Amino acid sequence: MIKWENAKTKRWLNESSSHTQKGVTESFGAAVSCLSTSHLTDEVIRRSKRMILDTLGVGLLGTSTPVFNTVLQCSQRQQALENSKVWGRPGLSLPPQYAAFVNGVAVHSMDFDDTWHPATHPSGAVLPAVLALAETLPVKPSGLELLLAFNVGIEVQGRLLRFSKEAYNIPKRFHPPAVVGVMGSAAATAKLLGLPAAQSIAALAIACSSAGAPMANAATQTKPLHMGNAARGGLEASQLAFLGLEGNTQILDLESGFGAFYPDYVPHPLVEVTPSSHYRWVLEDQNIAQKRFPAHLGMHWVADAAIEARAKFLDKYPNADLSQINKITLRVPSSRYVDCPLPVSEHQARHSFQFNCCTALLDGEVTVESFSKSQMNRSALKEMLLKVQLENPHDNHSSFEKMYCEIAVETTQGETFSARCNTFYGHWRKPLSHEDLVRKFRANALNVLSADVVEGIIYTVDRLDTNQDCSMLWSYMHFNKHMMHKDERRYSALA
Amino acid sequence: MTTMEIKICFISNNWQTGVNRDRLEDKLTRSTRYLSAVSAARGLHKSALDVVERPAPEETVTSSFGRFIQSVQPRHLSPTVLQRSKRMVLDSIGVGLLGSTTDVFELALQHCQAHSMDFDDTWHPATHPSGAVLPALLAISDMLHNNSKPSGLDLLTAFSVGIEIQGRLMRFSNEAHNIPKRFHPPSVVGTLGSAAACARLLSLDRNQCSNALAIAASLAGAPMANAATQSKPLHIGNASRLGLEAALLASRGLEASPLVLDAVPGVAGFSAFYEDYAPHPIASLEEDEHSFLIETQDIAFKRFPAHLGMHWIADAAAVVHKSLVGLKGGSVSPNLVQDILLRVPLSKYINRPFPETEHQARHSFQFNACTALLDGEVTVQSFHPEALQRPELHALLSRVRVEHPHDNPANFNIMYGEVEVTLVSGDVLRGRCDTFYGHWRNPLSQESLQKKFRSNAGAVLSDERVERLIEAVEDLDRLDDCKPLLAQLQ
Repeated sequence: MIKWENAKTKRWLNESSSHTQKGVTESFGAAVSCLSTSHLTDEVIRRSKRMILDTLGVGLLGTSTPVFNTVLQCSQRQQALENSKVWGRPGLSLPPQYAAFVNGVAVHSMDFDDTWHPATHPSGAVLPAVLALAETLPVKPSGLELLLAFNVGIEVQGRLLRFSKEAYNIPKRFHPPAVVGVMGSAAATAKLLGLPAAQSIAALAIACSSAGAPMANAATQTKPLHMGNAARGGLEASQLAFLGLEGNTQILDLESGFGAFYPDYVPHPLVEVTPSSHYRWVLEDQNIAQKRFPAHLGMHWVADAAIEARAKFLDKYPNADLSQINKITLRVPSSRYVDCPLPVSEHQARHSFQFNCCTALLDGEVTVESFSKSQMNRSALKEMLLKVQLENPHDNHSSFEKMYCEIAVETTQGETFSARCNTFYGHWRKPLSHEDLVRKFRANALNVLSADVVEGIIYTVDRLDTNQDCSMLWSYMHFNKHMMHKDERRYSALA
Repeated sequence: MTTMEIKICFISNNWQTGVNRDRLEDKLTRSTRYLSAVSAARGLHKSALDVVERPAPEETVTSSFGRFIQSVQPRHLSPTVLQRSKRMVLDSIGVGLLGSTTDVFELALQHCQAHSMDFDDTWHPATHPSGAVLPALLAISDMLHNNSKPSGLDLLTAFSVGIEIQGRLMRFSNEAHNIPKRFHPPSVVGTLGSAAACARLLSLDRNQCSNALAIAASLAGAPMANAATQSKPLHIGNASRLGLEAALLASRGLEASPLVLDAVPGVAGFSAFYEDYAPHPIASLEEDEHSFLIETQDIAFKRFPAHLGMHWIADAAAVVHKSLVGLKGGSVSPNLVQDILLRVPLSKYINRPFPETEHQARHSFQFNACTALLDGEVTVQSFHPEALQRPELHALLSRVRVEHPHDNPANFNIMYGEVEVTLVSGDVLRGRCDTFYGHWRNPLSQESLQKKFRSNAGAVLSDERVERLIEAVEDLDRLDDCKPLLAQLQ
């Protein structure tokens, strides 16, 4: 094309772009393509390994859910020359974007995966895509290269979330994993493919056209698909960029680009990355929360407060009957979609202040089992739910950084037992210990894998940064102690 | 089973029966969940006690849509609706065939495997409705077993449902009436239209239809910034594909928000895509209150592959071209022209003084005005590389100024295009277009539409096939099974 040098062109260029120096999109493209394994710090590596282990565990547990089975059946019509392994389904492979999709659904299927600040669930959008893609590469990446791609995906999400004040509060319009998650997946997979800066930008632009899912589907069975689609969409975007497809090169700079998802969008360029520079990762300054039970993060404050109040009550009256409770007041932030007085589905229960409070009061804990049909249908629980009142104090902000939960339990005798939780155990201010994190992983993974495979994954992730060949990671994830590999079935039928 | 067998198997199961959910338990579960949902829609914070004691539920907007999709029958389609739908089907097939020759199609096909040239139909409020719906319906028809292909009327009914749903959704927002700024409409309403059409063709029950819409909502929405790039056509492709996926997932029992189309304070559903959102339920078909939107609001078919706004300015510039050629005879020489003033609506993404790619050229008032000024018309060939690089064109482009009169809003129902050319001699020639030929107020004749189709389809298919396709679409409502249509498209 003929290049235009006259004054009119220059004026137009300045008017139509929102920058006079380096653009935001351009800086992201440069960073994604220039960041290398030498930029990974020890702390970042340590934190990412924890995130990876946790994500694999919740993903394995998630392969036992109905929603996972539904998306798997729908995806099985897809086949390609190269396929990637489906977690927990020996013998079953799908084209990498569909493997990323179903595995991503598994990760978020029970709302058990990690949460960050500003709010999103970062790992579930990135890890399934990175692993699915890695499996198809002719030269498999080393563990350090996997960690790098993973962190690029997390980093991009963290940076994008900081471009809007709205992002700091519990979301109301778009579900964050569907907004920033797909961008993170695009960045991570672009990194793994070794795309140059221009194509990394194209991947981000194409991914942007797949971003965004409304909040109304959170607390429904469709919510996990937001995660699966984020993983898939980002991977597809990188594949299309690799083939030469182009999008808007200013996608992160424009209000009509990524800015479309926020009412207040103020983007900033990333710092320049050189081979020898020190890079400050968001993950270093802002740690992540890992959940102790599969429910919306807000439920964890409620559970910890309720457990403490219960302990006080039982301390005073060791043989007390919990039906002596007359009224329960919860002081929580105002958030419509986790205010559910009478949840009917397990998805609703995972998004109900009231349900988690009553479960914690009755049982002294909230666990995976708490959301089973039998536990949900307990008459004692249903009766207690009728006694809960919510209050939304002005000083209780809808932000995972600032919120608290206060509980006041009144007995029929007129006594009140109160407790307050500012920071639950597992929050980024009070992270799970290494032992407790591994314990959570074992508990989840043992539902699907045998003990030796479980230990194999723990070992592999622990040494990820020193391992040259991590293909056993997706091989391990491909087992299921309850199912035979389809080839094994054939042999045993013949025997 | 091979994957082919698996997919046919479950599709034909759903084709026959839908999912039967009469168990009492499920009914109770659904009504209790529904009660909480309705109370949420009312914006009331209810304690558990209040929720339990609620009286019988009324219909939500979302459930009215589900009910509508499931209950529409061929007999509800009036002659006007049938006629207009067939025109849309013909035009979409034509532009799709022509589009299969483009780079982006190659890319998408390579990647996996309508909207590649921005040649497809446009409606009011603004979207490109057919391209999101037809490919998904044809894909389903293809997948179905040879003995259970839908009839032509089934196809047309499902198609009409897909169009209707899009029209209804766009009327929920005033923002939708203007040229879009944030989200590209086909990616918003097109996805739900495709889901609705597919749900209809698959004969899903009304809950599944509602769920299909809700699942599709989570797959909707692409920002405008990618319009006028090579990625724009993917918006329509994705709308079609993802709507189909949503319907398939719903047919498998996946559930999503029962209030996705309703306005629930504090939790956005479909409203997430709009600043102002006021939904209404669809009228019941039983009580005869419903009429299809396409009946009262016709569609625009483009005469050349560019953004709809270009058609006004091209027709206006063509008037000036005619006067110029009349004055001097022969071709138009840029040396005659001192200044070109365009009076057009304000819309950043179609205001491009010096487009560098064909995609940008399709979204440039300046480019289309100058092309029509030079050639008297804009055609498919106007966007080929040789045409884009013509020195005479660039000479004219550098003389263009743009004004945005207050009485010219960015709205396809109201806008106009004006071209004012000041010659070196001092003469001033003006052209104005209020309604271009092809607009819904001045629709293409059947001959013109078929001529466009022949020109498009003829780039890819033999003349004989082209004629048979025209016949097949013309007879679509009388075909017992749509195999003849599908056969010609391979």
